[in-house]
Amino acid sequence: MRDRNIYLIILAFIVIGPFLQPRVTVTEMLIFGIVAVASNIMIGYTGMLSFGQAMFFGIGAYVAGLLLKAGMPLIIAMPAGILFVLVLSIAVGAFCVPRTGLYFICITFAFNQMFYFIAYSWTDLTGGEDGLAGIPRPSLLDDPVSFYVFVSVVFLACIVAMKRIVDSPLGLIFQTIRENPERAAAVGYNVKLYKWISFTIASTFTGLAGTVYAMLYYIVPIDQIHWLKSGDFIFMTLLGGTGSFFGPIIGAIGYIWMYDTFALFWGRWPLLMGVVFVVVVLYLRGGIVELIGKVNDRYQRARGAP
Amino acid sequence: MAGLLECHALSKNFDAVDAVVDANLEVAKGSVHSIIGPNGAGKTTFFNLISGEVPPTTGRVYFKGQDITGLSSHQIPHVGIARCFQRTNIFPKLTVFENVWAALFARSNASALELIKRVSDFGEIKDKARKIISEVGLEKKLTERAETLSHGQQRLLEVAITLGGTPTLMLLDEPTQGLAPEATQEMTQLIQGLAGRYTILLIEHKMHVVMAISHLISVMHFGHFIAEGGPDEIRQNEAVQEAYLGTRR
Repeated sequence: MRDRNIYLIILAFIVIGPFLQPRVTVTEMLIFGIVAVASNIMIGYTGMLSFGQAMFFGIGAYVAGLLLKAGMPLIIAMPAGILFVLVLSIAVGAFCVPRTGLYFICITFAFNQMFYFIAYSWTDLTGGEDGLAGIPRPSLLDDPVSFYVFVSVVFLACIVAMKRIVDSPLGLIFQTIRENPERAAAVGYNVKLYKWISFTIASTFTGLAGTVYAMLYYIVPIDQIHWLKSGDFIFMTLLGGTGSFFGPIIGAIGYIWMYDTFALFWGRWPLLMGVVFVVVVLYLRGGIVELIGKVNDRYQRARGAP
Repeated sequence: MAGLLECHALSKNFDAVDAVVDANLEVAKGSVHSIIGPNGAGKTTFFNLISGEVPPTTGRVYFKGQDITGLSSHQIPHVGIARCFQRTNIFPKLTVFENVWAALFARSNASALELIKRVSDFGEIKDKARKIISEVGLEKKLTERAETLSHGQQRLLEVAITLGGTPTLMLLDEPTQGLAPEATQEMTQLIQGLAGRYTILLIEHKMHVVMAISHLISVMHFGHFIAEGGPDEIRQNEAVQEAYLGTRR
């Protein structure tokens, strides 16, 4: 499908979505859509599986939330949160990126836990277990519709920016590293440097999504920085499909829809998520995007048959 | 210094194994220089020492008179040395075009700003990529994924990626490895076509190929260079015959 058509579908979703689902749910879908697409720059494009993305999401949310609480305008609070995550991800990346495979997963996980416990114990600053409550929205965004419009604009801007990145030479370099790091080095790419860049880009966009999330429920709950959240991000990305740029958006929407729907009528809903995860990993490695492709093939064949 | 590439007393030992011992080699500019020797002689390790995959234990490597010892593998292409690998080493899920494009772009010294342009904005690189792909004879496969190519075509792509590095010196590690006779013929012609324009250091097992295209042949045995000479000289050399056939008793 052409990119233009996909953008049209996304726009249609943004317009129609709030009529099908509660507006906050759709807002959440868009915020986590940014996170899933960003995660996929690392997972799908560069071939790095980070188990620590919640630390960037949470810290972006905390920084923006704290500044908003301190009375700063959004125009300062949001960029400050993004900048903070950018610098932090460069620093954390310096330790993580030289590791590969399982070691990379473990060290990102360890950093995530470290920041989780800082947030947990530094009660004065973060509210600890109770979360960072009482975050104000700027008066302009205080009614639900204008906040939704704001999130939609941020979402679209992020998607366009990230699409530009993966379509650029930089995106191709990421893919050469995913495909064959040894060969990528042998043609002259500094593999560690580019992995570091990929890590930083993905983490910064994740932090950006966090700064928006802080205003959604006027609170940053502590579980937004917990490693389980990092797992959720990976699940969203895999569910949508790592093979395509837009796939993870579907993953985020699907994940939050399931979360909201199942949780309503069954306390043990994570069990169902587990089943879905197993099915995706075993039979649908390309995620929902692959499923759509398969169904479409069937349909075309059925139509083509006499 | 006379040679384009000069290796002085290069050695590499992996724990107790001496893979390369006191190797001296000089590659003249514009020549096709082959390294032959039985399996396990240390030929590929010798390549790895030059291309920065593995640092040498002792010894130095000079390229264009400049000491390049200890440069890492991603820096070596930028001095003008490109290599192809014994085991096919390509980017399987990328197209043939992207495989070569990526290699060319690596050498274009693009600025940070150019990194986020569109791939299609680089007309010159695109033309070069197409030219290289036609040269190796894969122009019909331009938009196919590399993984869908046959083994022989993948070997050709491997050479195309190496050419994409716009090198002065090409290190070719058994380009005909696993190829059928016709494909070997095709590859031999390709290398002959490249000779002259590029300096080529070649590891090869197929003697008819080596004898047909080399100006100079160095023979490696248990990590040592035991002989060097033109094709005829090497054919006559007793030490070489011993290395390949065993000592006469």
